[in-house]
Amino acid sequence: MFPDNLLSIEDLSVPAMEEIFQRAAFYKAGDRGKIYSALKGKNIVIAFWEPSTRTRVSFELAVRRLGGSVLDLRPDHNSEKKGESLEDTLKTLEALGADALIFRHGQPGLFGKLGQLIDIPLISGGEGCYQHPTQALLDVFTLMEEEVALSGLEVVIVGDILHSRVARSHFYALPAFGARITLAGPPAFLSAELAYPNFDYTYCFDEALPRSDVLYLLRMQRERHRHLFPAASAYAALYGLNIKRLASLKRIPFVMHPGPVNLGMEMDLGALHLLEKTYPDKVLIHKQIQNGVYVRMAVLDLLISERVV
Amino acid sequence: MELLLRGGILHDPLAGWSGPAEILIRGRRIEAISRSIGNVDVPALDLDGKIILPGLIDMHVHLREPGGESQETIASGCAAAVAGGFTSLACMPNTLPPADNKTVISYIKERARRADLARVYPIGTISQGSRGEELANMWELAEEGARGFSDDGWPVMDGGLMRGAMQVAMSLGLPIISHCEDLTIADQGVVHAGPVGYRLGLPVIRPAAEAAMVARDLLLQEEVGGKLHLAHISSRKSVALLKWAAERGIMFTAEVTPHHLFLTEEAVEGFSTDAKMNPPLRGAADRTALQQALSDGLIGVVATDHAPHRQLDKEKDFLGAPFGVVGLETALPLILSQLLSKGRISWEQLVGFLSIAPSRILNIPGGTLVPGAEADLVVIDLQQERRVERNDFYSQGKNTPFQGWTLKGYPVLTMVSGDIKMLAGKVKGFSRDFKETVDAATHRESI
Repeated sequence: MFPDNLLSIEDLSVPAMEEIFQRAAFYKAGDRGKIYSALKGKNIVIAFWEPSTRTRVSFELAVRRLGGSVLDLRPDHNSEKKGESLEDTLKTLEALGADALIFRHGQPGLFGKLGQLIDIPLISGGEGCYQHPTQALLDVFTLMEEEVALSGLEVVIVGDILHSRVARSHFYALPAFGARITLAGPPAFLSAELAYPNFDYTYCFDEALPRSDVLYLLRMQRERHRHLFPAASAYAALYGLNIKRLASLKRIPFVMHPGPVNLGMEMDLGALHLLEKTYPDKVLIHKQIQNGVYVRMAVLDLLISERVV
Repeated sequence: MELLLRGGILHDPLAGWSGPAEILIRGRRIEAISRSIGNVDVPALDLDGKIILPGLIDMHVHLREPGGESQETIASGCAAAVAGGFTSLACMPNTLPPADNKTVISYIKERARRADLARVYPIGTISQGSRGEELANMWELAEEGARGFSDDGWPVMDGGLMRGAMQVAMSLGLPIISHCEDLTIADQGVVHAGPVGYRLGLPVIRPAAEAAMVARDLLLQEEVGGKLHLAHISSRKSVALLKWAAERGIMFTAEVTPHHLFLTEEAVEGFSTDAKMNPPLRGAADRTALQQALSDGLIGVVATDHAPHRQLDKEKDFLGAPFGVVGLETALPLILSQLLSKGRISWEQLVGFLSIAPSRILNIPGGTLVPGAEADLVVIDLQQERRVERNDFYSQGKNTPFQGWTLKGYPVLTMVSGDIKMLAGKVKGFSRDFKETVDAATHRESI
């Protein structure tokens, strides 16, 4: 049921995802201080070649809580400078006895190649603009916890879709459970070819906003931009969530964000305060972070410890 | 050598020949072509209804030498050429060092002479080092034997430099071969801006990057004159501009590659680096438009853009792998299987875009078989059917997107200057049993 590697949501069937969610719920219901033994005696390498706090820490906590040990590998203390290729590094780690590899890297398509070279499980912690499967899993888990029916749920994904691996993972994850996707964003981040035939897309946020049951704000990845959008203030005016937009709505949608939020761009402070004060149940951003640990525990448990060799 | 080719069917549109023919070859030249030559005391080779065409010319290949010998050498590239039915090649100047000086041009010619397989016509750079800053000494390159100019691999971004190059090339009677790509639009793209590329999260090259440069070069040609040849056209947007230019009376020639004719961006699925090339494979509508433009004559040349790379380099991740695919050993079988056999083009058209047009653009011999001319020809067996197997290539480059395709119609004899260079898949100087193969065939009744 579970693949050797988790590189894309496409690797997972719906029953496999459901089992991950059940396992995550089990861990969430358990004692927070409890250390499980699913990864006891196992060495899990966490190799993040791109900056990250929440995903890396979340994976690290997940490994520790399952009783495994973490080998933290970062690009500045490895052997690339000696001319050792990434392939060599991974094979070396495997030979040294690593039991699994959690990897983040900026190059799309890299993990598929690397996965063929090593026999230990490879779990994506984000691959270029291609996929970020655990983020999509934890998002769907978070929505399910709210006891909303995913079938027919209108999810409006807003912002920098072009550069978003989170969005690309949701292109599989949300429709797998019957949710409907509308993409909204500036033309530079949303070309027609990007939208699947069954998705709606619009350049006008205000057109998409009223229909949303869930508003999924994407982080503006300014580090990847060149000539794409003139100013943060312009983005905020056209695509940012603010009090005026919230006030125009008959019903407040769930608000999600993969983090970290660029306040003043995707959302302004006023809107955040209003939501937190008046509609605290609708802001799922904090829950997404918390659930990240449980969902990743479930993924590691099911993919690594229950692996049939 | 002395040889009588019997029982073949010759298609030579320039000579107005389309039917059974016997061809007598003496020394380097064709002595006679006739329905029946009668009794002559020379070894005969019976072609048993196979097709004879004037030697094919690929005007866009990368032979990598000097500097890239681990990818291809002039000898291995020429072996691939004759194995694929090509008797002449024009090789692009992006070597190391580049062919921006006469020493490199003369070195390429010398290596080709030693390889003694296909004719090789070097293309010189437009700018020094192909850096797009200063014109190369194009007069000197032409004097040494360059048959055209290109910074291929890179566009000439500076329009003023391009105009200057067109003026010089015009005075030399040689073509400018333009790699059309506006780098500021292409940005760091690696695949077509289509559903596949976007889904894989890869940076894209929009068709406008090519079309904008096609438009600029056409407008410059209209003002300057001279021979403008647009390399590897990939998109229907560019085709529309070619149509506009043709209607306006702008003089140009254009080429399309087999991979753009027969593949789409779907080939990139699974991050396949064998389908990574520049310009990228585009959508189905682009492929249709290119096939249409070829059969309409708007695009007059098929060229392979043969770009051998080491497996080691192509096995890198998608962004890190180099652009390019090999093409010399698959181009003709692809065209025969996918276009000719399906009745989409005639033999006359095929000879036109694989021989006549390139010979005219480069002003080199070929395109027709007439008594007195050098005997450069190819014989094709339309019944031969086999799978493309990269490990059987003579080219050092194994990077083909057509691996495993079953194709029907293969070249079985390639002759350059009256000398058999390839027979039944065996290449002179490369196959141990080449001589035995030739001896057996010329004494037997059929190859």
